[in-house]
Amino acid sequence: MVVDVHVHPSFFKDICDNPKRVSFRREQTGLYKTGIKPMELIYTQLDAAGINKTVLFAEDLTTLYGDTVISNEEIKTLIDLAPDRFIGFASVDPHRADALEVLDYAFKDLGLMGLKLNLSKQRLFPTDDKLKPIYEKCIKYNKPIMFHAGLSWEPDTLSKYSHPLNFEEVALTYPDLRMCLAHFSWPWVNETVMLLIKYPNVYTDTSMLYLDSPKDFFEQIFMKNMGPLWMDRNFNNKVMFGSNSPRFRPYRLKDALESLDIRRSTIQRILGTNAIQFLGLEV
Amino acid sequence: MVKIKEIEIITKSEFQLIKITEHVRKFVSECGIKNGIVLVLTSHTTTGIMVNESLDCLEIDIEEALERLIPKDAPYAHSHFLPSYGTTGCNAPGHLKSMLAGNHCIFPVIDGEMVFGHAQDIYFAEFDGQLKRKFIIEVMGE
Repeated sequence: MVVDVHVHPSFFKDICDNPKRVSFRREQTGLYKTGIKPMELIYTQLDAAGINKTVLFAEDLTTLYGDTVISNEEIKTLIDLAPDRFIGFASVDPHRADALEVLDYAFKDLGLMGLKLNLSKQRLFPTDDKLKPIYEKCIKYNKPIMFHAGLSWEPDTLSKYSHPLNFEEVALTYPDLRMCLAHFSWPWVNETVMLLIKYPNVYTDTSMLYLDSPKDFFEQIFMKNMGPLWMDRNFNNKVMFGSNSPRFRPYRLKDALESLDIRRSTIQRILGTNAIQFLGLEV
Repeated sequence: MVKIKEIEIITKSEFQLIKITEHVRKFVSECGIKNGIVLVLTSHTTTGIMVNESLDCLEIDIEEALERLIPKDAPYAHSHFLPSYGTTGCNAPGHLKSMLAGNHCIFPVIDGEMVFGHAQDIYFAEFDGQLKRKFIIEVMGE
């Protein structure tokens, strides 16, 4: 099974009826020219890439920007269109007074499978007191958290909030909380590797393309910046395939991953097995 | 007089040749213009409009020839983050293939029919699929 653990469905047609909302999404994500995609095209792209399941993220920026970019309810709408294909992650603005109620509703009533937070955009450090009850809520429901980590292309973001070292205390304090530091926390790849080998509950994903073509960038990161045997030997159970679609097209990152000279068994783990473990899916 | 029709399609693969001759022929015969020209134009910069003979073997040769000329992996300058898009430009080969294919074709319209040779077919050529695409058929005349 191939799982893409990192997709923002900002321009999936069935949640794009309101032009003002679409415009707000463009401003907040910096995806200024991405077109609205009919679901038929989404399914065609997923099938052509051989992707069986896709994790869709909500994004809640209510207190700082006045709205959600994608609401938890919109994620539920998309899941209901194709429950065999889509897995939903909730979002909550930690500054909201009703943050815990929002999460209860998302996990219990909407059936969302995890939580996505972009602290660079939401402007708080991982150790902020506002986040502690949110972490405890995720543990209570056995839901993983996908943290944005490293550089964020979204406008008005500060990387200091998403430096991987700022997540270490969370990983240490909450060993039962499965957490993914997305994008290999680029450019802090070595720091991320340190957390991967030290903390069993820390994962990362491949959703990164900050320079060059996908193939060139993956070759640089995985075979040169990192030792070419690091993933095979040291953390082949901690890296998940993620595309960060629509910023990057999934098949291109998948092709780049599959072109790496590493064990095929490691590739298979990255493409699916590790996500199944992270998400707590039964297969 | 000018008559215009826009047609949207969803392409199914990164490279795809889609025969659109019948769309064009039918619009010409129904649009009411007797004599003039018909223009077929793609709305994109990683697709093409081509005229060629519709044979499987030639379609393979076209794909392979373009791939030899413009390989998928090369040190393209376009492969970097594009702030105005918020995405990374990974599709230089599509742009370059589009340049070779051209973005339009023109045929004469005589007595209300498009005039074309027996071996000629019009293709919408996808070089960066899968995507939602649009092409325009414009008939000008009287």
